[in-house]
Amino acid sequence: MCATPNVSLALPESGTSPPSQGLQALLLAEREGFLRFLRARGAGDAAEDIFQDTWLRLAAAQTNPIAEPRNYLFRALNNVMHDRYRSAQRARRRDGEWIEINSSNAEASDAPLPDRALAARQALAQAEAVLRAEGERVLDIFRLFRIEGLGQRAIAEHLGLSLSTVEKDLQKAYRALIRLKETQDAE
Amino acid sequence: MTDTNEQIRQEALEWALASQEADFAGWDALTGWLEADARHNQAYDAAMAAGSWMADLVAAVPALPQPANDGQPLPPANARSWRRGFLALAAAIVAILLIPLWQMRPQPYSVITPNGQTRTIALEDGSRILVNGGTRLMLDRNEPRFARLERGEAMFIVRHDEADPFVVEAGDVRLVDAGTAFNVVRSGAGLDVAVSEGAVIVNPDGENVRLNPGRRAQIDGASGRILVSDIAASHIGGWRSGQIAFADAPLGEVAQAIERTLGANVTVSPDLAGARFSGILQVAGRTPDALPQIAPVLGARAVRRGQGWELVSIDAQP
Repeated sequence: MCATPNVSLALPESGTSPPSQGLQALLLAEREGFLRFLRARGAGDAAEDIFQDTWLRLAAAQTNPIAEPRNYLFRALNNVMHDRYRSAQRARRRDGEWIEINSSNAEASDAPLPDRALAARQALAQAEAVLRAEGERVLDIFRLFRIEGLGQRAIAEHLGLSLSTVEKDLQKAYRALIRLKETQDAE
Repeated sequence: MTDTNEQIRQEALEWALASQEADFAGWDALTGWLEADARHNQAYDAAMAAGSWMADLVAAVPALPQPANDGQPLPPANARSWRRGFLALAAAIVAILLIPLWQMRPQPYSVITPNGQTRTIALEDGSRILVNGGTRLMLDRNEPRFARLERGEAMFIVRHDEADPFVVEAGDVRLVDAGTAFNVVRSGAGLDVAVSEGAVIVNPDGENVRLNPGRRAQIDGASGRILVSDIAASHIGGWRSGQIAFADAPLGEVAQAIERTLGANVTVSPDLAGARFSGILQVAGRTPDALPQIAPVLGARAVRRGQGWELVSIDAQP
């Protein structure tokens, strides 16, 4: 019996692996492009530090050479900025009623565990209901994209749909979630 | 700066979706777009965050409402055992602290099959789940003895473990195995469970209905009413071999079964809404185009409706 359930949908978190040393020169030559991206993503004066930290972290974790080091580093930097944005949002919200549920940062909430599990359950049920209102397929496609980590082309193939249908459904899903989140944040 | 907020949102959404693709290479173009207007990054952040927010919720929701006494020592029954109870509790706390956080975290994943496509899932413990088409099933890598059927149909052939029973959740209904092969269909609020081997307990904390082999429970999600009846064991999970058996089933239910198994879109016309069917449909090796041949068995006629079919009364005028 294999160690993981035999599901072809289960993809690793990232299709790429960390950088190897030989790429350092190439990436450093492009340093200004990365910094521009970070500033455009709202890093401000912290851009240099974020670039340095991320680069060192990736270099320390290096194992195999990667196919597209430039795209890989951009993706990593984008993830860092995304995490920073979400932490800032959480900090802003912490005083309010909203109980933040975050799996990787679960200890941040003071609410007792069962309450938080209940709150998460309710929030998830609400989010699923909002997606379901756009159609069962919209919920399916969102799940495959954001939870299973499948690309849009793979989803289209798997469900026998056109790429543009998948794209439109994903947009519907995201629009609905953005709306839901805005109303919740406004409360 | 002439873009309306609506335009910006739409563009941000498109960038957010595109940049999450593993092979996305348009980072320079994205930088240019972000630099063009300060509102662009805000909208991009909001779009990305909405997706992550829901993904985190899925990960944060425990697969099961955890039984309160799971793995915990029972409270000491009297003063003499107080000390032992305390030590056991302390040991349990240490043990809990030693388990790395990531091992306790739910790692849910979903299995989604389009109509007409089946899939077999082999679980670590040797259990198998045969998933019919048109089905969404949630599983958890850290909770291998649990499945949530969100819709559709699946046959569970599970390795029995008295101490750690396999649990299937479907809506508000919990099915707990007692050594088992069983088939579950969820459509809308309704649930249909049939047991071919062993036994299944429906809602052990509530109605506590035990289903032995050859027994079937139909649960009405709206009223919570459970109807138990007999079913030939050989008919259970028949979709796996292309034979779907029905006993006095409303035509709507039959249409859904055909949808899942054949992948055809099938609706039922209002004049057949009350019609019922008993018997076995042979759908092995058939394609959605075979609907006109299948329909007469149901006392109906198949009429093309867009991409799919509608079952109409045999007497209906075209």
